[in-house]
Amino acid sequence: MAIVVKLDDLLYAKRMTLTDLSDRIGITLANLSILKTGKAKAMRFSTLEAICTELECQPGDLLAFEADS
Amino acid sequence: MPVPNYTLLGATRGLLWLILGLIVASALLVAGIAVALVVAWPEVMAGFRDSPEFVDVTTLRLPVGLLLGLLFAILAGAAYIIRQFQALVASAARDPFIAANATRLRRVGWALVAVQLLAIPLHWTASSIAKAGSAFADMGGISLGNLLAILLAFVLAAVFEQGTAMRDELEGTV
Repeated sequence: MAIVVKLDDLLYAKRMTLTDLSDRIGITLANLSILKTGKAKAMRFSTLEAICTELECQPGDLLAFEADS
Repeated sequence: MPVPNYTLLGATRGLLWLILGLIVASALLVAGIAVALVVAWPEVMAGFRDSPEFVDVTTLRLPVGLLLGLLFAILAGAAYIIRQFQALVASAARDPFIAANATRLRRVGWALVAVQLLAIPLHWTASSIAKAGSAFADMGGISLGNLLAILLAFVLAAVFEQGTAMRDELEGTV
């Protein structure tokens, strides 16, 4: 997939688990797991805002574009 | 997500089973008449002779046989349509926007086309053996209601296809 979600790296940097993040931002663990594994088709601005607020990052830190080779 | 109206769905399910029962009963009746036509033609012809509806009872056997064959095929088509509707109603209680429902509606559309196509020779055959203006002669033919139902089935299939795509998109949204 061309868009890569770097949630794992951000969580590691903050020493936080996916469950912790789920509890703090109120998004289900199942949905965060879909996002983390790159299975999500789209992302709401509200989700992006909640993650960026909690992990103190920019959208660009969470998402990256990688051209398909 | 809105909660489905279970009372309405239950009533629809019951109605569909009732219609299916009537179709099966009609098919059995048609099969019974067909058997009578084969094994007891003289008695059947005597029965037809008393009826004022038919033009010439002596040449009735083949067209009536054809008529029964067409009726049986139409009833089979109708039963197939009802079975598709039953599956649609069953899925409506859970999630109606699935790819299978678009396929089912398209099948209903094609079955309706087949039924309409069979209704044309049915009308020709019935009007050739019965006196003009009689109820028997008016059987079958092109029906505006049927044509609208065909259109509706294909339009609904396209709507369900679009709905399914939108549902997939929504489910992949975090």
